[in-house]
Amino acid sequence: MHRLQLSPMRRRRRLYSNSNVLKYVFILPAALWIIAFTIFPFLSAINYTFVNYVLGRGITGYVGFDNYIRVLRSGAFWYSLFITSIYVSIVVPLELVLGFLLAWFVTLCPREHNFFRPILTAPLFTMEVAIGYLGITLFTSEGGLFAEVFGYLGLHIPWMSTAYGGLAAAMILDVWRWTPFVFLISLAVLTAIPDEMYEAALLETSNYRQLMAYIALPLSWPVLSVALLLRLIEAFKTFGIPLALTGGGPGISTQLFSILNYYTTIQFYDFGNGSAMGILYLLFVSVAVAFFYNTLRKGFE
Amino acid sequence: MKRVLWLAASWRVRAMTYIVLIIASIWVLIPFVWAMQNSIKSLTDTFNPSAIIPFVNYQPTLTSWIKVLGDEGSIHALLSSIIVSSGTTALVLLLGTPAAYSLARFNFPIGSKELNFWFFSQRVMPPVVVLAPFFILLVQLKLVDTWIGLILIYTTFNLTFGIVIMRDVFRDISRDIIDAAKVDGANAWQIFWLIGIPLSLDGLIVTGIIVFSFCWNEALFAAALAPQHAATLATFILASRGTQGVNFSIAAVNTLIAIMPPVLMSLFVHRYLARGLTFGAVRA
Repeated sequence: MHRLQLSPMRRRRRLYSNSNVLKYVFILPAALWIIAFTIFPFLSAINYTFVNYVLGRGITGYVGFDNYIRVLRSGAFWYSLFITSIYVSIVVPLELVLGFLLAWFVTLCPREHNFFRPILTAPLFTMEVAIGYLGITLFTSEGGLFAEVFGYLGLHIPWMSTAYGGLAAAMILDVWRWTPFVFLISLAVLTAIPDEMYEAALLETSNYRQLMAYIALPLSWPVLSVALLLRLIEAFKTFGIPLALTGGGPGISTQLFSILNYYTTIQFYDFGNGSAMGILYLLFVSVAVAFFYNTLRKGFE
Repeated sequence: MKRVLWLAASWRVRAMTYIVLIIASIWVLIPFVWAMQNSIKSLTDTFNPSAIIPFVNYQPTLTSWIKVLGDEGSIHALLSSIIVSSGTTALVLLLGTPAAYSLARFNFPIGSKELNFWFFSQRVMPPVVVLAPFFILLVQLKLVDTWIGLILIYTTFNLTFGIVIMRDVFRDISRDIIDAAKVDGANAWQIFWLIGIPLSLDGLIVTGIIVFSFCWNEALFAAALAPQHAATLATFILASRGTQGVNFSIAAVNTLIAIMPPVLMSLFVHRYLARGLTFGAVRA
């Protein structure tokens, strides 16, 4: 018995030394790439926040925390923070609820009709900038589809000419684009719940609303909360749809944070200010995400 | 998708299911149909709300398609998008596959927990934060406004993502198969190349498609770092927004060209999709 085990053991040891080399050779290129191109830019971004750096003129001296103070004193920064928070807190819950409900209905639907899944997933793969751009033709008051339909109902909403209208239009497109994300995740969880669970529950009730609320929802909540977290992280970075739809206008009224920061950095080439703004926002988002993370974890522990 | 639930459902639940799903599908299809409609309308017809059914209400025309596809700018942008997205996908798979395999199969002093944390913290960071450093980096490397510059940046952003997903794909390979291969005398490389890769091929393809669509759809770095010569479709669209934003028909054609490739690709890969998009958090 003892001798029988020896020979595979020895072979395994030889293999291990062989794979030890492979293990590091395999991981090295990716590791080097990541270290070179993520840590370095992040550190220089922090460095830029302490200097006066405008492209063309180069670094014209260290200014301490001046950039941060400048950002904290700027009304545009606080305004963008404000409307981004509103945007996120409307869009994300909507997407979560709609995505889960749609997934529940697709779960009910017989498998022969699962063409609903690819249709309902499709928006997730569309280019946000293009959707925002198409949105101009959907929301513009002259000939826009939404404007026509709402106008027919007697509602004349100034989609493109006011802050409320512009933000609402961007949110509608955002919900269109991102609900599939929650949908896809929810569907994966709901179909992974074993049939026996549903069968057992069906013996107790034939009410599908109860089935969803007391079986499907609690069982998918752990994963759904991950979806919520990821969606939250992404929503704070919203950029493409509002940029293409309104360009931040009229004025700066729909300038979500990413758009403001983008203009500061690229249009005005004010790297010091732009980086300070980014770092402050990063702190803000991290706190918000950490808060939600802790709340959610308490929710299902 | 769950026969148990369907069989036990009352006719009201069944009717409700179809009503909700059909309404949702219509809602999803509206922008696609709207874009297709407008792309074959003449400029005057785009402002005519009663022009709904082609040939009946209005005479469809391919003028806009011909105009856009004959335009050097849009064709060049399409080419840029294809080159940058496939270049990045290839590079991410090339660098990421071995790394992911290594992380899935062997023990490291840095555990998967740390990797996940690193990954999530990277996602929380708004990409605008590192825009300035990347701009300077590209200036120094003389890669501003080049395909290579964009590929370099996109690879950076997608590499960790790709590794995290592919690591989970490789973890699914059963230990028994690997042990059997070892008993047959396969070395570490052979196990990777002849067992690992073929068994996880569909997972790797999905990863590739997701990375491809991320790059294809990315606008921030594209517009900032490759504004002209290497302009991708996203940049092209942002630029034409200023100049021809009101021409419904041209806007529709541009939109369709920009959104269709990733959408069509996504239709073929439903397995693993949920998992890929949640970075491995969901197993389906």
